[in-house]
Amino acid sequence: MSEAISQRLKASDYKSANKPVWCPGCGDFHVLLSIAKALAHLQLPTEKVAVISGIGCSSRIPAYLNTYGFHGVHGRALPLATGVKVARSDLTVICAGGDGDGFSIGGNHLLHACRRNIDMTYIVMDNEIYGMTKGQPSPTTAADWDSKLTPGGPGISPFHPLVIALASGANFVARAFSGDPNGTTEMLVDAITHPGFSFVQILSPCVTFRPDQKNWKKQVHPAPVTTTADASQAARRVMTDDGFNIGVLYKGSRPAYRQIVTTVTRTNRDLEKEFVT
Amino acid sequence: MSSARKNRKIALSMEELLQHALVIELEAEQSYKELADQMEECGNHDVAVLFSKMAALEGKHATKIRHHATGVELKEHPPWKYRWEGFESPETLELTEVHYLMKPHHALDLALSCERRAESFFRRAAAESEDQAVKNLAQEFADDEHQHAIWMQEWLGKYPTPKMDWAEDLDPPAGAD
Ligand SMILES: Cc1ncc(C[n+]2csc(CCOP(=O)(O)OP(=O)(O)O)c2C)c(N)n1
Ligand code: SF4
Ligand SMILES: [Mg+2]
Repeated sequence: MSEAISQRLKASDYKSANKPVWCPGCGDFHVLLSIAKALAHLQLPTEKVAVISGIGCSSRIPAYLNTYGFHGVHGRALPLATGVKVARSDLTVICAGGDGDGFSIGGNHLLHACRRNIDMTYIVMDNEIYGMTKGQPSPTTAADWDSKLTPGGPGISPFHPLVIALASGANFVARAFSGDPNGTTEMLVDAITHPGFSFVQILSPCVTFRPDQKNWKKQVHPAPVTTTADASQAARRVMTDDGFNIGVLYKGSRPAYRQIVTTVTRTNRDLEKEFVT
Repeated sequence: MSSARKNRKIALSMEELLQHALVIELEAEQSYKELADQMEECGNHDVAVLFSKMAALEGKHATKIRHHATGVELKEHPPWKYRWEGFESPETLELTEVHYLMKPHHALDLALSCERRAESFFRRAAAESEDQAVKNLAQEFADDEHQHAIWMQEWLGKYPTPKMDWAEDLDPPAGAD
């Protein structure tokens, strides 16, 4: 074998020694694999990547990667990731979490992260449920999903996270399936290298509380359309598709957020003077 | 999604065949190791031991492929460029099929389908490649996989089909308990 191959970082080099405590068969294992493969494909030094998350089964992901990471507060992954990217623009910032973390408690942050268009990638492992807290419905749970906790279903229509991202200004919007780790890797490489805020919804089955999602592998299919640069066209397509279209659905060209650097003229001492002592 | 992949021709060069064969074994080894960890983590020691043994076997197969590749300049391809028939390389176990209470019988049954998928991949590579040397080697790899499937079948014979209630958990992870 050539030396060039052996010197390259492998996907396994991006995984930490911590053993995931996810349920065997959980889709998130494959998301972890796809992130590791994408970073290996890009050959990003581990110390040049920061993975930031909130709370949930999916949000455990930074602990399983060998990059910088921060397992944050429920719903606050995006503000944390925003802070990291603004302070250290040289880092590749990946924000990751679940549908509960990102669409319920953190829903408001999603709108503004898309609007700000800061150069980072947001991965939501969508299992249409709060896995960690044992199966409550989330904003992507079907209205008629019957369970012991929600007899007859939650009765509230789920929303379309990709449409919300498009309406709010995300610069890259894609839907992936965890069971296709190689296809997901390609999408993540694309998302990470695309300037601005990239949003990737990964359908990731919760085998414990949503065993029905094991069937997703038979339901997903490639989006029958090519990527568009027209956000309203992408939104219309997502509104009317079956929820299982896999692919990069939108790639925009809005310039990514750039910090306006001002010269700081005030010292800490000046600031202190403003406080009552 | 997989039907389009299934119909894609598997015509490989010698370098590509060897690279595909190596990745099949390395990914199988890695995935069995991870499955062993998953099982150990949730207390299913018997299946964890079994998956570890399979990982070791796949590691040996990878070494064998490396020997075949001596003197050949192998190039890694982007993960999505490999010509697998399904979402993943053929000897990688279907993740959502594993269960925390699964028995060795189930693990071996899934492993058997992996060996069969790998055999079918190499048979197709043999049939669809133009180069005679590639055809011969792909045929050899397919025969190896066939042999692995026979061993797996024998191994499976030692574990009778578990009772219907094998997945019953007296303390289930249900949300409304
Ligand atoms: C402030 C706060 N509220 C509620 C919780 C309880 N809680 C923990 S995880 C979670 C939902 C997780 O769902 P999701 O983000 O979809 O992750 P999953 O477990 O499905 O991967 C909730 C409500 C919490 N930890 N903190
Ligand atoms: S509860 Fe569901 S989401 Fe959480 S680890 Fe288990 S399978 Fe995965
Ligand atoms: Mg969830």
